[in-house]
Amino acid sequence: MSAFLRLARVELSRLLHRRAALLLIAACLVVPIIIGVAVVLDTRPPSAQELADAQQQVEHDRNDPSFEEQVDECVAHPENWGNYPADLTDEETEKRCRADMEPQLDWYLYSPQLDVPQERDNGSGIAITLLLSMAMMLLGTTFTGHDWASGSVSNQLLFEPRRLRVWFAKALVVTGTAALLATVVQSSYWLAIGAVARSRDRLGDGVLLDCLQMGWRAAAVAGVAALLGFALTMLFRNTVATLGILFGIALAGGILLGVLGIEGRWNPAYNVAAVVTDGVKYYADGPCPEEVVKEVGGDPGGCSVEKELSFAQGAGFLGTAVVGTSLLSLLWFRRRDVP
Amino acid sequence: MSDLVIETSGLRKEFRTRKGGLRVAVQNLDLAVPAGGGVHGFLGPNGSGKTTTIRMLLGLARPTRGTMRLFGEPVPEKLPQVIGRVGAVVESPKFSPNFTGQFNLRLLADAIGAPRSRVDEAIATVQLDGREKDRYKGYSLGMKQRLAIAATLLKDPQLLILDEPTNGLDPAGIREIRETIRSLGAAGVTVLLSSHILAEVQQVCTSATIIGNGKLLASGRVEDLLGSSTAHRVVVPEPGRALEVLGAAGLDAAADADAESIRVETDDAARITQVLGEAGVWLTELTPLRPDLETFFLALTDAERLGAEA
Repeated sequence: MSAFLRLARVELSRLLHRRAALLLIAACLVVPIIIGVAVVLDTRPPSAQELADAQQQVEHDRNDPSFEEQVDECVAHPENWGNYPADLTDEETEKRCRADMEPQLDWYLYSPQLDVPQERDNGSGIAITLLLSMAMMLLGTTFTGHDWASGSVSNQLLFEPRRLRVWFAKALVVTGTAALLATVVQSSYWLAIGAVARSRDRLGDGVLLDCLQMGWRAAAVAGVAALLGFALTMLFRNTVATLGILFGIALAGGILLGVLGIEGRWNPAYNVAAVVTDGVKYYADGPCPEEVVKEVGGDPGGCSVEKELSFAQGAGFLGTAVVGTSLLSLLWFRRRDVP
Repeated sequence: MSDLVIETSGLRKEFRTRKGGLRVAVQNLDLAVPAGGGVHGFLGPNGSGKTTTIRMLLGLARPTRGTMRLFGEPVPEKLPQVIGRVGAVVESPKFSPNFTGQFNLRLLADAIGAPRSRVDEAIATVQLDGREKDRYKGYSLGMKQRLAIAATLLKDPQLLILDEPTNGLDPAGIREIRETIRSLGAAGVTVLLSSHILAEVQQVCTSATIIGNGKLLASGRVEDLLGSSTAHRVVVPEPGRALEVLGAAGLDAAADADAESIRVETDDAARITQVLGEAGVWLTELTPLRPDLETFFLALTDAERLGAEA
């Protein structure tokens, strides 16, 4: 076994024996299961009893005199009830009013249906991606922060003084563990959700593959987050300082960019979203389009313009940020004295 | 191959202070520790630059200027090639507190490809067996020191650098560690022992280097450093008569405070016995008076301090 692989195996062993790391890994396994179970239960198909109750309610409302009164009112004054064309006959108007007002079964079934694309774009998929990215960043931070806090880095260097090798072995283990764990979690989650959706006949063509691809992109982001947390902690040599800076960027970064008038193109959150969701739309101040100028009869001075950030742009931004930070961290670790 | 295991030339280390100033921790230090086993003491007051020198030799700190060699190889450039022959404990032991002592050693052994059996052997050597599965954070300071020494033995080193290794040990532990150091030195391992306990250095070391304010003050064999005796203590039945005889012979003699012995300022013991014998004053005791290392060390460091202040 090469010396580097031997060292990487030691670092993996060190990581997997850290209590904080194990807790984070456990959280990444357990929380998605809880989220998945909640999604499946929340969107479960109505039971026979619930269907019977809803049907009974529909019948009740249909037979209620107020229903016929409302239909009559709609026919008499359709302009008060919707955007009905003026050239409809009374018969056609009544038909439209009745169709719009007639109580429907799904009005009384409160459980939403499982919508996999919705889960992917705005639901549990985002929650799991956020969880994994933050947990893996913490994993990278605490893994090496603990070594600096205990002073054991110097002891390790007495056995392997090649600092570049030590840095790369630790980085490989942290990044690999994070990416692998996130890939397993994301894949399992979407395969499970896909299986449930298929059993309910709610899975469209190609949706599962889209979800898996998003999951894998998110897993890559989790790996990058772990590497970033690791590289920053190797730079600052302190977990708290690293977390403080990351928290500050997360909290104030977007606001600061806005205050400084820096375009959303450089907002880390948009770039992460562009990678995970394969492109993202955002709004930025810009010159008003011609049609707006015509409509308002002059240039209003500026408009909020929809822009798109592609996957490649997001990946370029994140790649540059993480490579830059890693290089700085590596050079710093190589040159600075170790306490 | 060089006959020095450690060699530094013009070694200098500067630190920037928080206020932007410059602090020189080591200045132009020429250190030479001979190969072939034995224990070399590395002495100096607190803050004199001992630990900084050791940290530079081991690649943990970068020198500002100067050159260093271990086993004749320039370091830090060739440190990876020689580190396998160097065991070291720098300042306090540093291990992961939540891991057991045994697991901490296993990680280090695995990193260098040493067999696991060596971990158990090292633990047994420092008499930590029975406690090796306890968490490191539960160890006493003495046990931590022993674990650190066990870590150095994982490599089967030819050079052992120990920075205050008996810190925190109880008297029995100190004795054990001293015996271990002595036996390692006798077995051909060269030990660089940094210590502020001068008696320890005098008892254990065959040679020593003394530094103060980051500068070399003296270096050599302990006996040579202390020099030959320049005075003798004489005990005779009639001290008054002996004083007269010695004075008449031109020797500088004076009664000690206890009035039972005489201090004679000469390194020539034969002349003392001859003068007193010819006068019929018979010696009951004749002891050469050598300065101990503590006296020598304090004299050197005081002179250095006064020089620096001047």
